[in-house]
Amino acid sequence: MTAISNPTANRIRRINLAAGALTALIVLMAVFWAFPIYWVLVTTLKPEQDIVRPGFDLWPDRLTFDAYTHVLSNTQIGQWYLNSLVTAGSVTFAVVLMSAAAGYAISQLEFPGRKLLWWLILASFMVPIPALIVNHFVLMSQFKLLNTWAGVILPQLLAPVTVMIYKQFFDSVPKEFREAAVMDGATQMQLLFRLYLPMNWGITTALAIITFIGAWNQFLWPFLAVTTQDKMNVTVGITQVTDAFGVKYARDLASAVLAGLPVALVYLIFQRRVTQAIMLTAGIKG
Amino acid sequence: MASVELQNISKVFGGLRVIDNLNLTVPDGSFTALLGPSGCGKSTLLRMIAGLEQISDGSALIGGVDITHEDPARRKVAMVFQSYALYPHLTVEENVCFSLSLAGMPKAAQKQRAAGVAKMLQLEPLMARRPAQLSGGQRQRVAIGRALVRNPEVFLFDEPLSNLDAMLRVQMRLELAKLHKDLKTTMIYVTHDQVEAMTLADQIVVLEKGKIQQVGSPWQLYNQPANRFVASFIGSPGMNFLAAKAEPSAQGLSLTLVDTARVQLPAHIMATPQSVELGIRPEHLHLVAAGAGDIAGKAVLVEYLGNTSYAYIETALGQVIVEADGLEGIRPGTPVGLRIDRDKAHVFDQSCMALSRA
Repeated sequence: MTAISNPTANRIRRINLAAGALTALIVLMAVFWAFPIYWVLVTTLKPEQDIVRPGFDLWPDRLTFDAYTHVLSNTQIGQWYLNSLVTAGSVTFAVVLMSAAAGYAISQLEFPGRKLLWWLILASFMVPIPALIVNHFVLMSQFKLLNTWAGVILPQLLAPVTVMIYKQFFDSVPKEFREAAVMDGATQMQLLFRLYLPMNWGITTALAIITFIGAWNQFLWPFLAVTTQDKMNVTVGITQVTDAFGVKYARDLASAVLAGLPVALVYLIFQRRVTQAIMLTAGIKG
Repeated sequence: MASVELQNISKVFGGLRVIDNLNLTVPDGSFTALLGPSGCGKSTLLRMIAGLEQISDGSALIGGVDITHEDPARRKVAMVFQSYALYPHLTVEENVCFSLSLAGMPKAAQKQRAAGVAKMLQLEPLMARRPAQLSGGQRQRVAIGRALVRNPEVFLFDEPLSNLDAMLRVQMRLELAKLHKDLKTTMIYVTHDQVEAMTLADQIVVLEKGKIQQVGSPWQLYNQPANRFVASFIGSPGMNFLAAKAEPSAQGLSLTLVDTARVQLPAHIMATPQSVELGIRPEHLHLVAAGAGDIAGKAVLVEYLGNTSYAYIETALGQVIVEADGLEGIRPGTPVGLRIDRDKAHVFDQSCMALSRA
């Protein structure tokens, strides 16, 4: 065996040292990022009087689930969950279905005005949704859809970016598949549902997850469209967890944790797909 | 089974006429190859028969029925694509059954039909696999199975063997020939590979720039090419062409190869003297001793292929290729003589058409 020469050994040592320092810095930044989440979780497990006590307790002296019990038993959080589930689920289903159909039509069908439609969709992508919020409110009000699930759902169905992604993916499907299916007797609907969508399940899953997370986290529109507690989404509902005797940190934070929990779970389970979807929506085709 | 008739059909892409007023009859039960170089319109022609391209002008008949404006699925044709186009998300069985499932056939009947096809093509052990888990040859067989299960009256093949390696191509060629022998269904086969066309087809249609150059049996195309294009396209290595001046003579045709020998050919029909090209295949050109034969030349290179050899000979008329056994001993630079086999020579006039023999 040949001994490693001194300059080489020194270089390796220097590289190891630099890598170690970088790792330490990254870990430090991760801790810095995660600390508020940790602090929220710990706070929800403390009695209210311990929270406002001076000092800095990294771990509760007395562990209690009172805040969670209170939020779960004294608020309409169950109803809010249901509202969120129904509205976010409906938005996801409708957005994916309509975007797939629109993407397919623009990508695969020849019809008059196809290019114009495509440019309109692209143009709508340039308009920020909050800029339309007053129009949406007036429209929903005129349709008498305020304080209804439909009123929360409908304005959220504008999703040009998912149409663009579907079009992009359907464009890349080799035309022989389509031609083979056409020769096999497939109709346009069969082509979409039995060929194009199944061949792009990964994209559909990714888009569905990210649309669901987006719809679940929506605050501004559900906040404007709903004023009655029983129709509120969980994101809006938690603003109602107030007390006549001032701020109750543990309860407020417990309701926030409960509101964010489903999304966190969805993210943890489908982490890879979510990353893929974010790359897709950012225009990086994975 | 059905015949296919194309009557004055044309295809125009944005002002470019890729198929020009073409007439063709594909006899019932025949194996017809559409052969030609890239861009000659052979795949477009096949796609027009399939219904995947609109026919700009003229009409197409299958089994005597006008299908010019019929949907592809209603033409009773099935197509095997160059890329196989197997649906990647479906198993082999689901791929084979796809058309039956679209037609709403009960599952049990689908399975029964698929099993029959699988048996014929030895697909049984592969039925549960997905296309990604198959080799090239297996994918090819599945693609054929998918076409077969529909009981078509006409099979269309678009360069189906071009993605396979040389050995597999030979094997699949045999399987296709056997399939045609067993089914006796009309098959139209697009290829740019003359070996595939010559070995499989009983009728070959040679196309160039959207026009038919010749329709005939492999023997006719090789031995009686209608024009210079067909003569040069069929055969490998290609035919040698030698510039000559021709005039009718008592024996037939007297050719003066430019600045060299005079060659008498058996009777070819020609009215007036003119410049022509003498076409002679490499195996009909014989090496003889220097000073003998019709043309003098010098060996440039000899390629030894095992069963035969190709000698490249430089002559005053340009470079020619000679094919024969036992040429490998000839060294580059060796002076040689070339003798033309008169009975096998072809003569092409100034419009590149072959002069017919009397």
